Amino acid sequence: MKVIVGISDMKIGTKPDEELVTYSLGSCIGVALWDPVAKVGALLHYMLPDSSIDTDKAVQKPFMFADTGVPRMFKEIYKHGALKERMKVYIVGGSQVMDDSGMFNIGKRNQMIIRKMFWKNNVNVTKEDVGGAVNRTITLNVGTGNVKLKISGQGEVEL
Amino acid sequence: MSRIEEIVNIANHIPPFPKVAMQVMKMLEDPKVQPKDLAEVIQYDSAITANLLKTCNAAYFGLSRKVSSLDEALVLLGQDALKDILIASSSARFYKGGAGEGYQLEQGDLWKHSVAVAIMSKSISRHFKGVDPGAAFTAGLLHDIGKRFLSSFVASDFKKIMDRTYIDGLSFMAAEREILGMDHAELGGLILQKWDFSEEMILAVKLHHDPQALLKDPLTALVAMANTLVISLGVGVGADGLSGAMQGEGLKRFGITSLDLDRHMSNLVLEMERAEEMMGLSK
Repeated sequence: MKVIVGISDMKIGTKPDEELVTYSLGSCIGVALWDPVAKVGALLHYMLPDSSIDTDKAVQKPFMFADTGVPRMFKEIYKHGALKERMKVYIVGGSQVMDDSGMFNIGKRNQMIIRKMFWKNNVNVTKEDVGGAVNRTITLNVGTGNVKLKISGQGEVEL
Repeated sequence: MSRIEEIVNIANHIPPFPKVAMQVMKMLEDPKVQPKDLAEVIQYDSAITANLLKTCNAAYFGLSRKVSSLDEALVLLGQDALKDILIASSSARFYKGGAGEGYQLEQGDLWKHSVAVAIMSKSISRHFKGVDPGAAFTAGLLHDIGKRFLSSFVASDFKKIMDRTYIDGLSFMAAEREILGMDHAELGGLILQKWDFSEEMILAVKLHHDPQALLKDPLTALVAMANTLVISLGVGVGADGLSGAMQGEGLKRFGITSLDLDRHMSNLVLEMERAEEMMGLSK
């Protein structure tokens, strides 16, 4: 069964026949977590690095921002028995249009914040596919932990 | 016929933009125009009337009660909202079915992208002095109309275009131009010309991917900024992805900071939820 994760959302999957999918990641970032023992997965689609731009929205839509969404995602998956040491961690997205001035570097800022957060909290990234100018879709199979990456116009591969 | 002639031929034989919409827009220039006069004209286009009733109840337009007749809608809606709905109801017919398939967009995606850019254009219009929010909405809604008509050409040369983009590093637009003889923005400009839209509107559509767009005419800059943000958010984005350049330093002349960009992006997600009825119009 397909469970769709929209922009600024996060879903936990606990059933082996579930597939968590998030479409059309441009400068946004998709984070997938999977615990091989607890057989639980999670997928987040955040769009901006920093919730301080709008604290009301951070309450209303915590998964919109990396700084509020990522910690909350980890908290949620721990509730289902996942352990940090065991978890596979994938990040994809963070594309951007070319701009020397850096004004439109939302993708890069989105990448930087998650690296910083993971580094601080000793989270190792298993695999990633970030940057460039492509549009990505990521699917996590809750039963097997397989992660598929689809790049628009270029087909689907296993990440 | 050469391919470029074929493409130009499409622009020359394009179905007209609904007459009723153009006529009502003209009538709205007269501040003394009465709702009943507008209703008299609008009711002759049943598709527009139906769409108008469907959309005016969207939370986006903020009406205090449910509207069920055209007369009632015209009394309750302000002129600005009426213009937006009229343009959206009239444009939707061009985005039906697999419009944008050649760009590997799913059904409805090109319309969704267009509505998102229209909403974004309107909400950033306050940064652009002298730009009418309604004009911003319209230009946003129609900026990718060229894709609708270039789609089948892109489909037949898809591999060539992708190779030029992702192997040779050209922007998708430049590859379109090189291989098809024309890109979707230029074709969009021709279509708007054919439809008798204003010079500034034609320019905004034609130049929305120009890397220097932010240094140009305010409406051109506005649509380029709105489109860049919506593409970054991945709303209705196909195989062309985020390919291409947009020089952001031009935003400074409008006093726009990167904090503003973040705020507008975060607002869009909520505004789109409130505009769901508009998203459904191309079905």
